[in-house]
Amino acid sequence: MTGMEERDARLGIILILPTVLLIAGLIFYPIGYNIFLSLHEVNMNPNVANSFIGLEHFFNILTDFDFWNSFKTSVIFTATTVVGTTLLGLGVAILLNRKFPGRPIVRGIILLPYVTPVISAVFGWKYLFNPVFGMANYFLVDLLHLLPQHINWIESPRYSIYAVIIFNIWRNFPFAFLMILAELQSISQTLYEAAVVDGASRWQQFKYITLPELKFVLGALIILRTIWNFYKFSEVYLLSSSVEVLPVYIYEKAFANYNFGEAAAISAILFVFVMGFIMFYVRKVLEW
Amino acid sequence: MVEHNKIRKNIIFVILLALVLAFVLIPFITMISSSFKPNQEQNLFPPKLFPQDPTTVHYEGVLNPNVFPFLTYFKNSLIVAFISSGIGVVIAIFGSYSFARLEFTGRGVVQRGVLLVYMFGGVLLVIPLFQMITKLGLFDTRTSLIVTYIVQTLPVSLYMLGNYFRTIPEEIEEAAIIDGCSRLEVIWRIVLPLSAPAIVSVFIYAFMIAWNEYLFASVFINSEALKTLPLGLNQLFFTQHYIWGRMMAASVLTAIPVIVLFLSVERFITGGLTFGGVKG
Repeated sequence: MTGMEERDARLGIILILPTVLLIAGLIFYPIGYNIFLSLHEVNMNPNVANSFIGLEHFFNILTDFDFWNSFKTSVIFTATTVVGTTLLGLGVAILLNRKFPGRPIVRGIILLPYVTPVISAVFGWKYLFNPVFGMANYFLVDLLHLLPQHINWIESPRYSIYAVIIFNIWRNFPFAFLMILAELQSISQTLYEAAVVDGASRWQQFKYITLPELKFVLGALIILRTIWNFYKFSEVYLLSSSVEVLPVYIYEKAFANYNFGEAAAISAILFVFVMGFIMFYVRKVLEW
Repeated sequence: MVEHNKIRKNIIFVILLALVLAFVLIPFITMISSSFKPNQEQNLFPPKLFPQDPTTVHYEGVLNPNVFPFLTYFKNSLIVAFISSGIGVVIAIFGSYSFARLEFTGRGVVQRGVLLVYMFGGVLLVIPLFQMITKLGLFDTRTSLIVTYIVQTLPVSLYMLGNYFRTIPEEIEEAAIIDGCSRLEVIWRIVLPLSAPAIVSVFIYAFMIAWNEYLFASVFINSEALKTLPLGLNQLFFTQHYIWGRMMAASVLTAIPVIVLFLSVERFITGGLTFGGVKG
């Protein structure tokens, strides 16, 4: 039998080898290489050697007003979308956590924004947000009079962040909805029955039964969405490139200005910031 | 009185549900309806939800290679997504079987290492990968995208398949081994047939990610003949092809394959995702 175990162990290593090589070569090595690049003046021609400049990029970035502006945009974008997707997902999950005819179809429809290719969804929203004939302006300005005049949602530096936030919430709340609904359905009904016998109100049932049961899934959703949205590029850039969150700022530094070294340094700062947030969140908020 | 209350609750429920569905569906309705609107109806104000005089002219334009390179982009997306998810699934089957069933030193470390990949977004990798791809002479090739997409989808594929393999009773595999099957035969004859739905779902998940990807494609690909749908369509948006109806028709045709694939395995993918989410 030991011969068998040895053979299994050898086979186990052989079968996992392609995965290990790919992830080491195309995830961990590039992350290390990124740090190397961030310490160099990177030549535009990749075949010409780079010159070592130490922490110069980092000093330049941390004293650059544009960087801090972009940082602020990223924090606002991430904070609002994390809150928005989680609350909307929670609300819709509670709404659908009952039996009614057509529920599986409704559930499928709600998942559509999350599975549609970004490029298609973006074009649909660009049409809605069109400053001249878009439905968004028609509703908010001409029908409901909530805003005084038509707004250029996509291109104006001031308002495009709202468009990007709304789009991101629309696209990502279904994921939160799905997770929360699954958790809601696993809560035992007897808990609620007992609470009703004890005379608990609807709100008390929510606060003392539902919320504690959801604590874990909500914590996981918030941290995952925070990581994902700090790194979010396509959903922002394709809808409006004038919203300069950090990933867009990095992308333009590297591939529009060809300043690869500085862009690599900004990536490193972004990564350290996200890691710091994760550690703080896991220790202080989740208390794991 | 109780009856009354119930009716009022039902009405509130229906109104809320209608609001949610409107929020979810209006972008899709706009997209589909504008793809059938003739040009002179596109800029009408106030906007009409449905076309007054529907036409298929935009679809004809999109599908005509002399007018619009949609079919080239579609083909490129198909090739890249199909090959990357195909290879990715094979690698994930071997890897996740190894995680699920075979004991070897370092397994825990490797499993945690794979999970760590979640901490790295694409934007952190795009600069070093671009440099590496260029140095290897892979700039402007499909290979650069295929390899990148395999790695991007591997962690979730491993996770979903590993969870599924663990639900197969180990006794069946042991019985086969006692009957003289080797491990590889066990995988081929028992595990694969029993996991067919999971394998198809993982393939479709990887296919959707590759079909959707913009960031790496925009950096690694330069020539018109190799552009994938997200890259090609976004660039056309800023050219003379900027005709709303046509862009909307292209969007609809880009979304259809993915939505059909997703709906065919919805139950399994959402099951796998929720399990994954709740676990970690």
